[in-house]
Amino acid sequence: MTPAVPTVLAQLAAQLLAHAAPDVPPGERANQLGLTAALMGILAETWDRQAHILVEENAALSALLGAPPAAPTDLRLTALGAENDRLRAALIVAHEAAEAAGDTARQAAIWAELAATTERRRLSTAPI
Amino acid sequence: MTHPLEPRLAAYIAGRMPQAADVAVRGLERISGGASRETYRFILHWTEHGQDRQRRLILRRDPPASLIDTERRVEFEAYRAFHGTAVPVPEMLWLEEGPGPLDHPFFIAEELTGFQAAPQALFALGDAALAKVAEAKWTILGRIATADPARLAAILPTPAPDACWRRELEHWAGLIDRDAAHPQPIAQAAIRWLRANPPPPAQRVGIVHGDYRTGNFLYDAQGGVHGVLDWEMAHIGDPLEDLGWSLQPVWSFGRTGPGGPLAGGLCPPAQAVAIWERASGLTADPAALHWWTLFNCVKGQGIWLGSAAAFASGGNTAPIMVYPAWWLINAQDRAILQVMGKL
Repeated sequence: MTPAVPTVLAQLAAQLLAHAAPDVPPGERANQLGLTAALMGILAETWDRQAHILVEENAALSALLGAPPAAPTDLRLTALGAENDRLRAALIVAHEAAEAAGDTARQAAIWAELAATTERRRLSTAPI
Repeated sequence: MTHPLEPRLAAYIAGRMPQAADVAVRGLERISGGASRETYRFILHWTEHGQDRQRRLILRRDPPASLIDTERRVEFEAYRAFHGTAVPVPEMLWLEEGPGPLDHPFFIAEELTGFQAAPQALFALGDAALAKVAEAKWTILGRIATADPARLAAILPTPAPDACWRRELEHWAGLIDRDAAHPQPIAQAAIRWLRANPPPPAQRVGIVHGDYRTGNFLYDAQGGVHGVLDWEMAHIGDPLEDLGWSLQPVWSFGRTGPGGPLAGGLCPPAQAVAIWERASGLTADPAALHWWTLFNCVKGQGIWLGSAAAFASGGNTAPIMVYPAWWLINAQDRAILQVMGKL
């Protein structure tokens, strides 16, 4: 998730403390609490699934890019995310190459995986 | 409790109202909708010719870093260009571009009271009211499309009809390259397609609001629209750009009809286009409108990625900078796929 969750949580904590002060105007406090609640709702939905999404997505991207399957050894979200970045950057290159070559089958496979990617990451509250 | 900005704001306004005495600012509080500017409402009190006066006003102040980087003069002048016309906007009062009075540039405007902007409250209105909002929304957009761009030509560049698309696309593609913290294969594929399949030249070059969507206008419970807000991305270009932004799928807010997402969560896209064509006298060529709708999906992604970047850099750590990024980056990717027929 971008921005990164730990940074956001640290800022939310600071903002909550600041807005707990008794002299904060009620409307301003309500806005802050409403936004914080919305962000926490997103976190609650993604907390348990995030590592699974990245492992599944990295495996699918590796297969699409022709890399040998390998189980990740580092399951921290930062490590999985870094590998995801590497694979998505390679996918952009592969997609451009497929377009240049007129390889419609390859393009279709890439589009299918991109659609699957957005389905994995989809939020229940998302507008689409 | 007095907000620390109140006396400074009062001193600034007193300097611009030589006829007024006892100028005071009361009830200053920040309100929502300030992702690109900090937005506050307050009541101005003063004495004039021996009589007590008061007026509800809005302060829009630049934050340390913004969801979008724009010139406050552009926003200020865009509002002024339409004040008193059939495009309803609040009256602009003072623009301050220096950091001295309130630490950051700002402007002050009248507050249009008694109306709402929130999309969720809008959708709770009945079908009849929503139909009226739709009619008003795209009628007003048609009026913006046909307004004389000379009103803003002194402060904004006027592109040639065949240059509108490239200028906008390269601007937002550049921001995505600058701000994306992670590779964006879907947005990049869309950008390649847009470059390879440009739209025809603009049928007219006009004023583009730049963020004309549900949530950026004030409405009443009967379906009347009383104020068009958030002109900070106004520019001169192809009016189809605004129509495409109003149709881009994330602005459906998840509301769908038999044919897919509702335009602005209000009506089928074809109905919105028909209202706009009737009001503007312009034609929305389907292929050109498709290009501009996809472009606006890319633009949206540029805004959400920029919001995340501004937060990550520490330039603006307000939660409002995180919410659009977390909520909309993946949704915007899905919108790109949908518009490209890949979903």
